[in-house]
Amino acid sequence: MAVRREKAERLADEELMPLVSDRDPEAFEVLYDRHGGVAYSLAYRIVGDRAAAEEVTQEAFISVWRSGARFDATRGSVRSWLLSVVRNRAIDFLRSKAGRAPKLVFDDDSALEQRPAAERTEEEALRRETAGEVRGALGALPREQSQVIELAYFGGFSHSEIAEILGLPMGTVKGRMRLGLEKIRAELAEGLA
Amino acid sequence: VSDAGHTRWSEDLPAYVLGALEPTEAAAFERHLDGCRRCRAEVRWFEPAVATLPESVERREPPRSLRRSLMAEVRADAKGETPPPPARSRWFSRDILLRPAIGLAVLTLTVAAVAGYELGKGGGEGGASTEVMREHGVTVKMVREGNGGTLELANVRRMPPTKVLEAWVRRNGTMEPVPALFVPDRAGRASTMIADMAGVDAVMVTQEPQGGSEEPTSVPIVTMSIPR
Repeated sequence: MAVRREKAERLADEELMPLVSDRDPEAFEVLYDRHGGVAYSLAYRIVGDRAAAEEVTQEAFISVWRSGARFDATRGSVRSWLLSVVRNRAIDFLRSKAGRAPKLVFDDDSALEQRPAAERTEEEALRRETAGEVRGALGALPREQSQVIELAYFGGFSHSEIAEILGLPMGTVKGRMRLGLEKIRAELAEGLA
Repeated sequence: VSDAGHTRWSEDLPAYVLGALEPTEAAAFERHLDGCRRCRAEVRWFEPAVATLPESVERREPPRSLRRSLMAEVRADAKGETPPPPARSRWFSRDILLRPAIGLAVLTLTVAAVAGYELGKGGGEGGASTEVMREHGVTVKMVREGNGGTLELANVRRMPPTKVLEAWVRRNGTMEPVPALFVPDRAGRASTMIADMAGVDAVMVTQEPQGGSEEPTSVPIVTMSIPR
């Protein structure tokens, strides 16, 4: 049975998922309203096109609607799971476009500094604070480290492809990935301390 | 795992958590992961860093039309208004189209499959026969010999590192997975053996998560009718 919108809004993401699995549109709508913005932004970041980002986001959310039962709370948050669905679809979309290079932005400082719209909840505020730290951490990385991470995560390239693209030994690419991720992780750990 | 062995795998670990290993590398890494507590701990340690990468993107307001069309589809679906899948096969059901494992690359190829055409068929020595189709550049060749057969694909596009190809046969209206999973090589070639072709009237291939699936979770890359 569908819950009322107001009730759904009071529920945590993890509490909404069983309702989504039971095909409750109100619960799903709340889920979209909470995460649709970042999902669309991520899709746009990867595919670099408004219409394609819209298509990818819609497909991703519909797949969540149809397969909400696949969410496993022991493996991370709903938001992380949902964004991984969006990311995978966007990368698949890129790969389906023969000869189309992913949109890669390495020096877009304005993008890194731009703050999101008004904060709605304390949770969202905390999340955005964390996002700000990540933006800071990514921006603070030496370019050669942020570059390999962006090529992998937002470009969907394998480490061997990245080595080829950048004309670097594979070991160098692996090393830069590790150093970059370690710095972001350390930044997050410091923020939580 | 020895220190030297661990070091070798540990070098690949950041690429693994970023989804940047080739499919065969990712499969090998996951096999190692099953038996290596140190690597599992390190993956868990890195995961929060990767999980927050999407939060770093510039925020864009999604168009209102997206929310409208999404919720219209969801509400119609909840009311059971979604049109039923085509009668020809549940392989093509809308549900499959919309599951997470689907890639738009697969969708593109499947649409192409409808427009695919048979290039030829021919008999062979000793009762062997071959059917060939081409779909948007992907060539599908089914070589039947005796009770079995070999399904060969060429020009298969690159797949996400976490995916494998899984073949399915339809027999008496029932879909059955082919046990041997496979992946395309760098040249885009992939093949698998089908031990028992008796009663099979169609063969299809889908992308599935590592380890395969009990039923298809994505739109078929290729679908070929098998003449009786």
